[in-house]
Amino acid sequence: MRSLLKTVVLTFLLLLASSLAVFAAIRLSGGDVTAARLPASATAADRQLFRHQMGLDQPILKQYATYLGKLFKGDLGNSLTNSAKISTLAVEKIKNSLILGATSMLLVFGIGIPLGMIAALKRNSWFDTGITSASVAGMAVPNFWLALIAIYFFSTRLGWLPSAGQGGIKYLVLPAFVLSAEGIALTVRMTRSAMLDNLNQDFVRTLRAAGLSERRIYFKHVLRNSLLPIISLAGLRVGQIVGYALVVETIFGWPGVGQSLVNAVLRRDYPVVQFFSLLLVLVVTLGNLAASIGYTLANPKLRK
Amino acid sequence: MSRFRRALKNKQLVIGMIIAIVIVVLGIVGPAVFGDYSKQDLLRGHKPVGTPGDFFGTDALGRSLAARATYGIRISLFVAISVTGLAMVVGTIIGLIAGYVKGLVDGVISLLIDFIWGFPLILVAVLAAASIGSGLLPVILAVGLVNTVAIARVVRGEVLGISEKDFVVAAKAGGYSTMRILTKHVAPNVIPVALVLSSYYVAVAIIAEAALSFVGLGAQAPLPSLGQMVSEGRNYMRLNHWESTIPGVIIFAMVLSVSLIGDGLRDLLDPRLRTALERARAK
Repeated sequence: MRSLLKTVVLTFLLLLASSLAVFAAIRLSGGDVTAARLPASATAADRQLFRHQMGLDQPILKQYATYLGKLFKGDLGNSLTNSAKISTLAVEKIKNSLILGATSMLLVFGIGIPLGMIAALKRNSWFDTGITSASVAGMAVPNFWLALIAIYFFSTRLGWLPSAGQGGIKYLVLPAFVLSAEGIALTVRMTRSAMLDNLNQDFVRTLRAAGLSERRIYFKHVLRNSLLPIISLAGLRVGQIVGYALVVETIFGWPGVGQSLVNAVLRRDYPVVQFFSLLLVLVVTLGNLAASIGYTLANPKLRK
Repeated sequence: MSRFRRALKNKQLVIGMIIAIVIVVLGIVGPAVFGDYSKQDLLRGHKPVGTPGDFFGTDALGRSLAARATYGIRISLFVAISVTGLAMVVGTIIGLIAGYVKGLVDGVISLLIDFIWGFPLILVAVLAAASIGSGLLPVILAVGLVNTVAIARVVRGEVLGISEKDFVVAAKAGGYSTMRILTKHVAPNVIPVALVLSSYYVAVAIIAEAALSFVGLGAQAPLPSLGQMVSEGRNYMRLNHWESTIPGVIIFAMVLSVSLIGDGLRDLLDPRLRTALERARAK
């Protein structure tokens, strides 16, 4: 437990350090901010004054401290492209991303675990072969291409679902499935191999000898042992989903954090880039931390 | 010879290798055969596959899809294979040192490794692009960093176990130098794992390069990239779907072949090493 606490503290220090690195890198190479905000006719003196007003002539560490100070007061600055308050913008985007991310997480486990279980129980049947090959293919299809194929068939050809935008559950179906595809494939694979591993363990033989029904052995004992490592590592799926959301949200025009970050990078809107990248780094770090805590708790050997 | 025969019997490995060879040959020969990837001919735009003169069709600007796609393979392979190859060497060295030396060195290295490891490659690449601007460089840096860390992590774990083994203890007692023990006794036991893992990370790198170029943060025009081609072609899906189907299928085939090779090599590995691999792939 003490080592866990140490990990948490050190992780937060690293989080701070990495956010500083991103902050500094954006400021140092973000190009001329004055070019983005001021008209081309602005003189050198105007530009200098603007930099001074924005605090950009201060040392990076001091700027960072000021930024963090404002951050904790809820002042995130304004977007350079439309001058909107980032704090107002962020609430909406975070809400949208949470809806998409949570739905995808549900699909990853809700579909992945049952399919993996059935594949393991019906080992070497046509169902197992089909599922296993589909999961190999599922991990090889780049999700942006999967998205295009899905849009082509389900919206362009069949007209069942909208291709992009937001509003109602219909709009959520395609992005959520595309976003979760690789996670589902991976979960199927992990569940199947964990179930098969456990079915060959001594405790199953003992339970059989003790006269327990097969069903009880599968669902109570084998399943529990197999799911523990998968569920405890759920935090890692968070990182994966955050990564892919950058692409999937962009394709489906889903107005979330991922799409906003990509657009802001393309437009060099650095206050927006700064906040959303900090946010995603935080989310992924928390996911990883949850995974390492979960993994420690699930493994009695690692508990100290 | 027996090992080679065993490899030939492994279906996944053989199929993966065949696809990989076809793709590599396309990447090497293609640009020479299909001509200039940037030559435009606006009168010959959106030609479908099978058009005489441009057998594999053209894009919106009349550029040969075959020339662009095969050049895109080069870029993709360069980023994925050369950078992951380098990452494998550096990651193995870092992992060997951290796992064998232990103490403070290991503490610092493994803290960094644990922190970076969980980050998805695409996010790191987008952050890199946010920091230093769009292009192939942020993709290369991100692939390098993430894959080095991922390999170092697994190698370190393996070395921790191996360095307790009798043969290492005996070598130490025999007075061999640390360098010799690491290179002659420890490294041969971890390099197979690093190799197999690298093949999976090549797949992740191919996807990341394509995805970043797809959203516009990777390879910049006029340089062709498969991801960027898929993205340009998506606007003309009804008119000429080949513009995104050709690069899309190539990316899929590349990733599939590398994954099949990885799975095949894994099956040839010592069963004991497989557990380490499965654990590493939980990400």
